[in-house]
Amino acid sequence: MGQAHLFPKVIDLRTLERKKAIWGFIFTMPAIIFFAIFSFYPMANAFWTSFFRKELLSLKAPRFVGLNNYLYLLRSESFWNSIKATAIFAFGTFVPMVLFSLSFAALILTRKRFQKFLQMAYYSPAVLSSVVAAAIWLLIFDPRGLSNQFLNFLFNTKGIDYRWLSNENMLRLATIIVYFWKYVGYFTIIFVAGMASIPKSIHEAATIDGANRWQDFWHITLPLIRPTTLLVSVMSMIQCLRTFSTQYLFVQGGAPIKPIDVITLSIYNTAIRDRQIGRASAMSVILFLIIMSFSYLQIRISKTENITY
Amino acid sequence: MRQSVFLDIFIWFFLIVFAVFILVPILFMFTASLMSSKNIMRIPYPWISGEFRWQNYWQAIKGNDGKFFYLKSIWNSFLVASLTTIGTVLLCSLTGYGLAKYRFKGRTFVLLMILSTMMIPFEAIMIPLYLIVTNMGMQDTYAGLIVPLLMNAFGIFMMRQYLLTFPDELIDAARIDGTSEFGIYWKIVLPNSLPAIATLAILTFRSQWDNLLWPLLIIQSPEKKTIPLYIIQFATEKYTNEGAMMAAAAIASIPMFILFFTLTKYFLSGAELFAARKD
Repeated sequence: MGQAHLFPKVIDLRTLERKKAIWGFIFTMPAIIFFAIFSFYPMANAFWTSFFRKELLSLKAPRFVGLNNYLYLLRSESFWNSIKATAIFAFGTFVPMVLFSLSFAALILTRKRFQKFLQMAYYSPAVLSSVVAAAIWLLIFDPRGLSNQFLNFLFNTKGIDYRWLSNENMLRLATIIVYFWKYVGYFTIIFVAGMASIPKSIHEAATIDGANRWQDFWHITLPLIRPTTLLVSVMSMIQCLRTFSTQYLFVQGGAPIKPIDVITLSIYNTAIRDRQIGRASAMSVILFLIIMSFSYLQIRISKTENITY
Repeated sequence: MRQSVFLDIFIWFFLIVFAVFILVPILFMFTASLMSSKNIMRIPYPWISGEFRWQNYWQAIKGNDGKFFYLKSIWNSFLVASLTTIGTVLLCSLTGYGLAKYRFKGRTFVLLMILSTMMIPFEAIMIPLYLIVTNMGMQDTYAGLIVPLLMNAFGIFMMRQYLLTFPDELIDAARIDGTSEFGIYWKIVLPNSLPAIATLAILTFRSQWDNLLWPLLIIQSPEKKTIPLYIIQFATEKYTNEGAMMAAAAIASIPMFILFFTLTKYFLSGAELFAARKD
């Protein structure tokens, strides 16, 4: 009798498992379809189109041109200019961003009072939309704006125009400042979270052993937040490579495009203004490969850098 | 002891100087939004001018052509960002739940496939996406703005990580009570994962509110523009003065600041999540 009872139950469990497997599949189905249509297909399409001469809104059939789009880009001065503009912007932004956010996180955590206030203050520009941020700074960089007033005050000069929006290097610096200003607080918060997760006992042990604050930071905090530091570096680097809004609004506001013609802006203009979809696709593929190599680095880092306390 | 006090003052000095650098542009936006161009361009900048030019705000709202397109664009941004947020939260949590609590063939593959899309930057696929959306007839529509951004790998991953620790007892108890599998998700899982949902919702809402590139490609009609598009157009119009431009910027920022001050925790946890991803 006991067996007769057990038997149907076993089958029941198995059908339950099967039923659950089907439901699990149903629940993930929308995501599979979504990413197939809106991520994988477009990426494959970009690769494919990069081998064709194709024009936006043109009735002409796309013509296969092999690697010609890539060869064209390699010889094109404006493409190298945008690679240069992107590289200057990305390195010029990400190095100070990582250094400052790291140091200010450490400084904030030494404070007993106003910790929360400082974190919120530093974070606040990240709340603004990037177009708003660019619009504010466009006025600050005006010849009569705050930036010139500040530099004149700093160098004790009078009425010198530092040509923030017309001089090539100053314009690059201007876009870097906007981006740095907007995101430095965001990364500071990440570092604060990383540092706060180090157990207090480790710091206490170091203090008992006679370490001062500087030694504690250098020999305890810094090595222990290495994974955070590396991830922040890669992530901010990728973000910088994808910058668009600041440069777009500055150009719309009358700044010369050449020094800040970053690759995303260049893709946009090639596709929409020049209608060269094939060429824009080749640029997209190159951007993808650059960012992908950084993402790969990020995965490698997060896999190897495990710290247990 | 004296050295320590000296160091303390030094640290405060740096922290405050940096806070000033961060806050000055925001203060500039709010003060300039109430001034005439003459005052804004005065050297030195009059921080406390005593001027309250509310007509800057009126001009920003009314627009140079008097058609009140800014109000429309604020509504558009709210609509697009809210719908995207609702869709993202539901779809990402459903997928995350499926991946966290159900065993099926190919589950690991699906997870890896979803995660791999994190490596595809939006900027690299925007042109093909633009063509797809055009072919689907969603050019210049809200759907075109919303649909391609309805799901993201990070949201799914975040929900999955959160739901991995969701108590199985709750789910099994509901199952024994005869609740359907979808019912379990809807009545048990969803209401019990509000912290993760709030964080994801804020991330999504902000990124849509902030989005410039995608609306720039998709939207042409002036009455369908979102806030970033409107501000760019307004800022580059000939009759826009500096004060009105800052008023438009302030109007766009106020809702986000209100959200930030009321939901600070979830804003900051969005950033912290990233640091916590140590495993």
